[in-house]
Amino acid sequence: MKLLKIAAAAATGLALLAGTAQADDKPVVGLIMKSLANEFFQNMMAGAQAHEEKRGDYKLLAVGMQNETDFESQINAVENFITQGVDAIVVAPADSRAMVRPLKKAMEAGIVVVNFDVALDAEAKKQQNIELAFVGPDNRGGAKLAGDALGKKLGAGGKVVIIEGNPGADNANERRLGFEDSVAEFELELLDSRTAHWETEEANTVFSNMLTAHPDIQGVMAANDSMAIGVVKALESAGRDDIIVVGFDNIPAVSPMISDGRMLATVDQFGTDMAANSIDLALEVVKGGPQLEGWVKTPIELVVAN
Amino acid sequence: MTTQVLSETMPNATRFSVRTALQNAGIGLALLALILFFSVFTEHFLTPNNITNILTQITINLVLAVGMTFVILIGGIDLSVGSVMAFAAVVAGKAITLPGFGPAEAIALAVVAATLTGVACGMINGVISAYWALPSFIITLGMLNIARGAALQVSEAQTIYSFPYAFEEFGSAMIYGVPVVFLVALLLVLVAWFVLNFTVFGRLLYGIGNNEEAVRLAGHSVYWYKVAAFTICGFTAGIAAIVYMARLNISSPIAGIGFELNAIAAVIIGGTSLSGGRGSVIGTLLGAFIIGVLANGLILIGLSDFMRQMITGVVIIVAVVLDHYRAKYASK
Repeated sequence: MKLLKIAAAAATGLALLAGTAQADDKPVVGLIMKSLANEFFQNMMAGAQAHEEKRGDYKLLAVGMQNETDFESQINAVENFITQGVDAIVVAPADSRAMVRPLKKAMEAGIVVVNFDVALDAEAKKQQNIELAFVGPDNRGGAKLAGDALGKKLGAGGKVVIIEGNPGADNANERRLGFEDSVAEFELELLDSRTAHWETEEANTVFSNMLTAHPDIQGVMAANDSMAIGVVKALESAGRDDIIVVGFDNIPAVSPMISDGRMLATVDQFGTDMAANSIDLALEVVKGGPQLEGWVKTPIELVVAN
Repeated sequence: MTTQVLSETMPNATRFSVRTALQNAGIGLALLALILFFSVFTEHFLTPNNITNILTQITINLVLAVGMTFVILIGGIDLSVGSVMAFAAVVAGKAITLPGFGPAEAIALAVVAATLTGVACGMINGVISAYWALPSFIITLGMLNIARGAALQVSEAQTIYSFPYAFEEFGSAMIYGVPVVFLVALLLVLVAWFVLNFTVFGRLLYGIGNNEEAVRLAGHSVYWYKVAAFTICGFTAGIAAIVYMARLNISSPIAGIGFELNAIAAVIIGGTSLSGGRGSVIGTLLGAFIIGVLANGLILIGLSDFMRQMITGVVIIVAVVLDHYRAKYASK
């Protein structure tokens, strides 16, 4: 299995190097993801590669980035795909504004473009005069699911803090807004809200200090599970088991924490399937189906102990 | 003969103890001022729990900064320590979760794996930059990428978890409210202090930082001393990986991004000169405390993340400017 994965990755790399997209008549789909250092996109790529093998009627070229903010390489990837003459580009933009122009170029070259994971900026789309549907989860709605679970447990007046993702990242923003929606709806008291840059160690440090400043915290909303793990560890070392933690992403490492009650809930947005589903939609259009419109929402689900 | 040449190449050698003591006193005063400030303006700063927190929170940076002190003292820099730490943590994470070992064996295996990985990366840094006399800035920048890529490759970008219970125990163990992991870091500081001040090896590292050519002419193999300094830095990155794992019970391939900068900042704030040859590991200890106290105190005060980042930057610049005047004063 692992070997297969490596082989698939190597094959993709070779295909890209050679620049020969059209091996036979199968349509070619270029998949552009964000940082492959992120578990979420790594799983997504694995899902897409499995999907390519299962369907067998298209050819997948997948690229990722060095890190979350390296959107230069995404723009280059779009341009390379245009040169290679792919049939469809399926893209998770690292920057919701910077990607609009290169994608417009791709559309003008007759390539079907599907935007997934993070929506392109509506203003920027209007400015470039393009219509482009978005396929993706509702990060804000998802965060609200987790926040609501916490709100129900604490009731009105519950004192909570938010651990945010990278400042400026769209999904970080959306998730923060979702948490804030729950705070408003359940009349919780938001004591503090800080970033830990999606990272466990930083979340551990930042949350320990928040707990010192506000010993009366009752609940924590973490914008991803890696940070939720850091929070759980901080609670363990502080000897507090009365504080409720919710996360986001449903990575494997949190499932034991949810089953033994150290975490109340997390949110699964089925990242593994997301790229694959978007590819299906793109291929429909390539085969002459109608253009996609508006927001095609992908499933999200609250994960709690059963 | 050798000692004579050495003392000529290190004109400061005799004044060292007095001067570093004065320097450390200055940094100590700055730290004291910070502590005083936060004690007055926040409610919880001087509580036992918060002190325990600060000690835990500075441990990883302190461990990395001790190794970094060796490299900076010889006039080098190591940008790879954050990535090497992640790589070592991932290798050790794979080792500790191997099936078929009891908890004790698994932990021992992980410790060996982490330190060996760190030592190997550090040694490669040292050998390449010393053998071809290349700037360590660029070699370790290469290693930063190699180690990060290797960490992601080995872990397949997944968080590794479920370590033996005894390992978690160690990570959160306390002796009179002092985290055991911090005591490990403190032990490293003491060993480093002894080595740098009371061994020929240590004095030669200062000598290399001051005047590499003179040390070479005195008949010492500068090459191996440089390799040793980088290897020590890699070793401490391995130790930091173990601390990370014990504290958080996971190994993350994206751990330690930017940690090299914090470690360098601790060393520089601690009064070690970026051009080498001058400074002390006790200063590094104080520098790590200043960064940790600042990060902790500014959150307690309720300052926003962005303001916090700005103030940390200001402190680094002020420290270097002060160091410039200190150096000028000392050379008079």
